[in-house]
Amino acid sequence: MAIAVSARSLTKSFGRREVLHGVDFEVQAGSVFGVIGPNAAGKTTTMRCLLDIIRPTGGEVRVLGVDPRTGGPELRRRIGYLPGELFLEGRVTGRKLLSHYQAISGPVPPGRIDELAQRLGLDLDRHTRKLSKGNKQKLGLVQAFMHQPELLVLDEPTSGLDPLVQQEFHSMLREARQRGQTVFLSSHVLSEVQQTADTVAILRGGRIIAVESVAGLREGAVRHLRFTATGTAAADAVALLGTVPGAGNVEVLESNGTVTLSAVLEGPIQPLLQALGRLELTDLVLEEPDLEESVLKMYAGPGEGVR
Amino acid sequence: MRQPVRTRLPLFRRAFVDSWRSTLAWAAGLAAAAFLYLPLYPSIGGSEQMQEMVNALPAEMTRALNYDQIASGPGYTQATLFGLIGFLLLSIATVAWGAAAVGGDEESGQLELTLAHGVRRVQVVLERALALLLRVLLLAALVFVVISLLNGPSQLDIDAGNLFGAVVLFSGLGLLSGSAALCLGAVTGRRTYGLAAGAAVAVLGYVFNAVGRQSPDVDWLLSLSPYHWAYGNSPVANGADWAAAGWLWGLSAALVALAAVALERRDVGA
Repeated sequence: MAIAVSARSLTKSFGRREVLHGVDFEVQAGSVFGVIGPNAAGKTTTMRCLLDIIRPTGGEVRVLGVDPRTGGPELRRRIGYLPGELFLEGRVTGRKLLSHYQAISGPVPPGRIDELAQRLGLDLDRHTRKLSKGNKQKLGLVQAFMHQPELLVLDEPTSGLDPLVQQEFHSMLREARQRGQTVFLSSHVLSEVQQTADTVAILRGGRIIAVESVAGLREGAVRHLRFTATGTAAADAVALLGTVPGAGNVEVLESNGTVTLSAVLEGPIQPLLQALGRLELTDLVLEEPDLEESVLKMYAGPGEGVR
Repeated sequence: MRQPVRTRLPLFRRAFVDSWRSTLAWAAGLAAAAFLYLPLYPSIGGSEQMQEMVNALPAEMTRALNYDQIASGPGYTQATLFGLIGFLLLSIATVAWGAAAVGGDEESGQLELTLAHGVRRVQVVLERALALLLRVLLLAALVFVVISLLNGPSQLDIDAGNLFGAVVLFSGLGLLSGSAALCLGAVTGRRTYGLAAGAAVAVLGYVFNAVGRQSPDVDWLLSLSPYHWAYGNSPVANGADWAAAGWLWGLSAALVALAAVALERRDVGA
C-alpha cells in the first residue's frame, strides 16, 4: 500500500531546546493514524512540520509524496488542517470566514459547507467571536473537511465537542476513510484514537516510543473480567483461572454458595473461554480491553530507563 | 487552470474588507479634523492678532510646531492638518494596521491556519501590505477631497497641484510608519514590536524635525527625519519634493519586501 505521510529521523530544535529527537513513522494511504502522547510530547510540532508552518531541523518528511518545504500551496490545497488551538476572532460570520478559507483551499463541492455545518449542528450565521469553544471547533472541522482533502491533519480534533458531536465527528472520519482519504490525528486521550484509528503511535518526550495497530494493541491489552458460578468452591475456581495464560490479579468477591471472582486478562481470550466452559456460570462480564492501561505502561516503560 | 474571479487576491480582500469599520472610523476622524481646523483659518491664521500671538511665542516653540508659516492659507493647512493632527491620526491608523497585519495575526494564532492553506507566505505579506496601501490611499484621497472642498470657503488659496504633492507625501509618511510596523511584526511575530517600530518611525521623525530645526548644530537630525523629508519645504505652499516622496514610498516598499523575506524564512507560531 502507498505511504501518504512519512517522517524519517525528524528532529526539531527551537534555539538550543530540541523538542523532536528523531521521529520516525509511516502512515498508510487511506488509513487513520492516531498520535497520542502527553502534553508537550511534540504532537503539535510534528503536525506543523507536515504543513510547513514549522521547518524541521533535520530528517526527512514526505507528505503525499512531496517534501512540505517545497510542496507549496499546491500541496497544502490537498490537505485539511485543524490546529490544536483554534483562534477565530474576526467580526465575521462563520459563513464568510469559511468562504474565505474556501478561496484559499482546494475546490469545495457546492453545498458541502452547509451539509457539514448541519451535521455538526453549527449555525453559520453567527459571528465567529461570539461562538463557544465547541462551536469554533466545529467551524475548524468544517474548514478542514470541506474540500475533501487527500490528507486530514487534525490536532486534538474533539476538544471542546460534546459527546453527540464527537459521535458525528467519528462518523465523518469513517466516511473520509471509506472515500480513501488519509487521516493523521492527535489526541491525549487514547479512547478517542482507539475508536477511530487503525494505527496508533505513542509520542513521548519528542520520540515515538511505540507504533501499534489498534488491533495489536487490543490483543496485548488488559481486559477486566468478572464472573459468577455455582456448584464450585472458590479455591477450585481460583485454581482453574491459574491455568489460563495471562490471567492474574484474581480476587474472590463472594463465596457463599455462589462464587464471584474478578481478574484481569492479558492475552488471547480463547483459553479463558475454554477454562470457563467447565463451570456453571450464572454471570460473565468481559470488559472492552482497556488500551489506556497498556499505553500507560508504555509511557512509563522504555524511555524512562534509557535516559 | 482557470480560477474564478472572486478568488483573486483572497488575502487582500479579507484584510481590506474585515477592517472596513476601522477604515471608516479613521476616515471620519480625518474629515472631522479638516472640517474643524480649516474653516478657522480666516479668523485665526490670517488675522493680524494671531500673527502677533505667534510672534510672541518663543521662537523654538513656533519652529517645533511649524507655526512660523501659519499666516498663509497653505502654511496654515501644512502646519495644522498635515503637520500635526492629520499626521497623528494617519500614523496611529497605519501603525495599528501594519502591526496587526502579520505580527498581530500570528500572535492571535490565526496566521497558522491561513498558512496551512494554499497560499505562499510572500503572498500573505504582499496582499496584506496592499490592503494597507489601499486604506492609506483612501484616507489620503479623502483628505485631498475635503481640503479641495474647503479651499474656497475657508480662503485657503491652496494650489491644487501643490495639494496633490502634499497628499502624496502625507500618504508616504503614513505608509512608512505602517510598513515599519508590518515589517517588525513579520520579523518577530509580535504585534507589540511592530507597534513600537511604527511608533518610533513616526515619533522620532517628528521629534528629530522639531529639534533639528532649532539650531544649525543639530540640523543633521533633519536628515534622519522622514517627517522633515516630507514636510521640510512646506509642500502645501511650495510643491512637493518628489525625491522625498520617492524615498518614503521606496523605503516602505523595501520594508514590505524585507517582511516577506523574513516571514518566508522562519517558523510561525513557534
